[in-house]
Amino acid sequence: MTASLQKGINALREVLDAPIASYFSSCVRCGMCAEACLFYTETKDPKYTPIHKVEPLRRLWEQEYTLTGRVKKMFGLSKPVTDEELEEWSPLVYDSCSQCGRCSMVCPVGNDITYMIRKMREGMAISGHAPEGVIGATKRTIELGSPMGIKLPALQTQISKQEAETGLTIPIDVQGADYMALLSSMEIINFPEYLGALAKIFHNAGVSWTLSSEAFEATNSGIQIGVADLARDIVMRIVTAAEKLKVKSVISPECGHAFTALRWEGPNLIGRPYGFKVVHILELLDELRSAGKLKTTGKESEALTYHDPCQIARRGGVVEQPRRLLGDVAADFREMSDPGVWNWCCGGGGGVSANDRAEHLRLTAFKRKKAQLDALGVETMVTACANCRIVLEEGLEHYNMNVKVVGLTELVAEHLVEQEAGK
Amino acid sequence: MRDETLLDTLKRRGISRRGFLKFCATTASMLALPPAMAAEVAAALGKVRRPAVIWLSFQECTGCTESLTRAHSPSIESLIFDAISLDYHHTLQAASGHAAEEAREHSMKQDWGNYLLLVDGSIPLKDDGVYSTIAGISNLQMLKDAAAGAAAIVSVGTCAAYGGLPHANPNPTGAVSVSEIIKDKPIINVPGCPPIPAVLTGVLAHYLTFGAIPDLDDLGRPKAFFGESIHDRCYRRPFYDQGKFAKTFDDEGARNGWCLFELGCKGPTTHNACATTKWNGGTSWPVQSGHGCLGCSEPDFWDGGSFYKALSTPISPVTGAAAAAVAIGAAAGVAIGLANRQTKAAAKAAHQKATIADLEK
Repeated sequence: MTASLQKGINALREVLDAPIASYFSSCVRCGMCAEACLFYTETKDPKYTPIHKVEPLRRLWEQEYTLTGRVKKMFGLSKPVTDEELEEWSPLVYDSCSQCGRCSMVCPVGNDITYMIRKMREGMAISGHAPEGVIGATKRTIELGSPMGIKLPALQTQISKQEAETGLTIPIDVQGADYMALLSSMEIINFPEYLGALAKIFHNAGVSWTLSSEAFEATNSGIQIGVADLARDIVMRIVTAAEKLKVKSVISPECGHAFTALRWEGPNLIGRPYGFKVVHILELLDELRSAGKLKTTGKESEALTYHDPCQIARRGGVVEQPRRLLGDVAADFREMSDPGVWNWCCGGGGGVSANDRAEHLRLTAFKRKKAQLDALGVETMVTACANCRIVLEEGLEHYNMNVKVVGLTELVAEHLVEQEAGK
Repeated sequence: MRDETLLDTLKRRGISRRGFLKFCATTASMLALPPAMAAEVAAALGKVRRPAVIWLSFQECTGCTESLTRAHSPSIESLIFDAISLDYHHTLQAASGHAAEEAREHSMKQDWGNYLLLVDGSIPLKDDGVYSTIAGISNLQMLKDAAAGAAAIVSVGTCAAYGGLPHANPNPTGAVSVSEIIKDKPIINVPGCPPIPAVLTGVLAHYLTFGAIPDLDDLGRPKAFFGESIHDRCYRRPFYDQGKFAKTFDDEGARNGWCLFELGCKGPTTHNACATTKWNGGTSWPVQSGHGCLGCSEPDFWDGGSFYKALSTPISPVTGAAAAAVAIGAAAGVAIGLANRQTKAAAKAAHQKATIADLEK
């Protein structure tokens, strides 16, 4: 119980790096980021303008790192950042930002506003202004190993169930395997079919893979809440396990921000390159497909569309791979409006789905996805992020929409040309 | 004659319909109207009855009238002037004395509220305007009387538009422009010393075609002609961009036709159509003849210092003071940079590793 304003301000001072300073000084206040943010477009409330969400950080930068700011502060023209203000900003920084990155795409001066909000969270968390739900998820990740409190026995139960279902062995703690697969809690609890799908696909493709009993959880609440020290510890678990098993690559699961955490933030957090490669499962499936190791048969006849998870498409660059994979298994694939890097977020990324306080806002923001789906009129939506999937299902249920959500890996596995088990 | 249409008059003067349409298309293009508007200009101008125009000349040099009437050969532009019912013009009318003034009064009465008033020259206000009178009437009084019944006023030339030469320091007659006296009528300024004939006919054509005055800039000038600076449209602009300047009027640069900026050309601050319309039937214009622009279509162009002083050349070479200023600026930048680094380093030093206990108060 030692969060304090002083710690928070110090953290904000620490995150003010050259990119953020140049972003603040180049912002022309055009407001284009507002139209890119679904929390603004669905509410029309100007307080949800992305750059406004980092206003306390901007003022601190101005007061401590610029001449005019110092003078303003001296004459009392610029008020210091207070606890009350940060509390007021907490819903802006946590509830109304899914770190989707759309604002960064439209900024005419190239400001990465998403990065700024991510850094702003460093000061918010340590001064005690993170939302209860996200604090809980972070505590469970640190203390129990997973944001949903899932421990190894739970995973082992799901492994045996999937082994029974597929008739295949799911390897665990195999030294020297080529790939180490990770899972997100959502997959373990809600979508264990993913694990079965992996077993089937890898068995058919002859991929040597394993799970690790020490690090099976891919999600990183430390990144969502914005505490680099905790995020580093969480990434380090995976790095240690992967390097101990001497795997060549680690597979990021169908989870958006886990990919961001492991692929992009991880090496910066631990301050050194990994001894292995990180691939997203869709990248790996696409590689296997190109190498002729992923053969499918039959196609889904009903019309379906694909929801691009923000962290995988926009922030991760995995855009073409899912479309190539879908081309093999879907006869009637229909692109949503604003596809690929311009997708609209499900509304629950970046910790918003773990934040009970944000539920109403999240469902309001879902109207955008609803409008996209209504315009398209399909009844199946494929995606590649377990978090998107949960949030989409909640939204669809709330608005009584008859749309089914399917994970891409499972869809591919269903159409696999199977060799006989045990071969 | 008064019931004759403009097209009839032009025909009688030997101008073919083709020639008239060509003029209309040129005018439409000069006014930046869409090409399709040329037909409308032609239709409207062809039908228009000779509009009554009263031309008053005050403190002026007759240069404007010379410019507009002494064209090298009779052009359609000049015939447009013939086509209007120019009921009163000191220089051009045959009548003199009482007969002339009666003609003015008669015309004003007959077309009260509808005639177009053209004014060249400035109006003296000092000592009750005694410095310029016509038939015993001060310019001020005559302007006020004539303006009261005018549909619109065109200030022809810089003197009428902004005061011009009579207004120049020390302005012994207290000369002012038309717009400083008349506030309740639409006024179109067509400045220039003198103005370009095509600009005036273009403004008249616009007024006759649309029955309204064209879009004006903040100095009351038609944007179509005064919207861009001489500099932006100058054919010597590429030399300016390359930094090639004539240093004297007879050096290598001058002979090569380089930019006249350093010889005092006021092109960058002057808005007029000279660079595109040119003078004397498109023969040439000041910069093409090797002399910089004087800026004659801008207010107070007489009082802007020498015509041969460059707009923004340093008055003296860069000195030690400037070098010192650069050094001080650089030093201040480095000092602020170091201070900021210190702030950041202090923040890093104060960092305590965060644990989950630090997430709540």
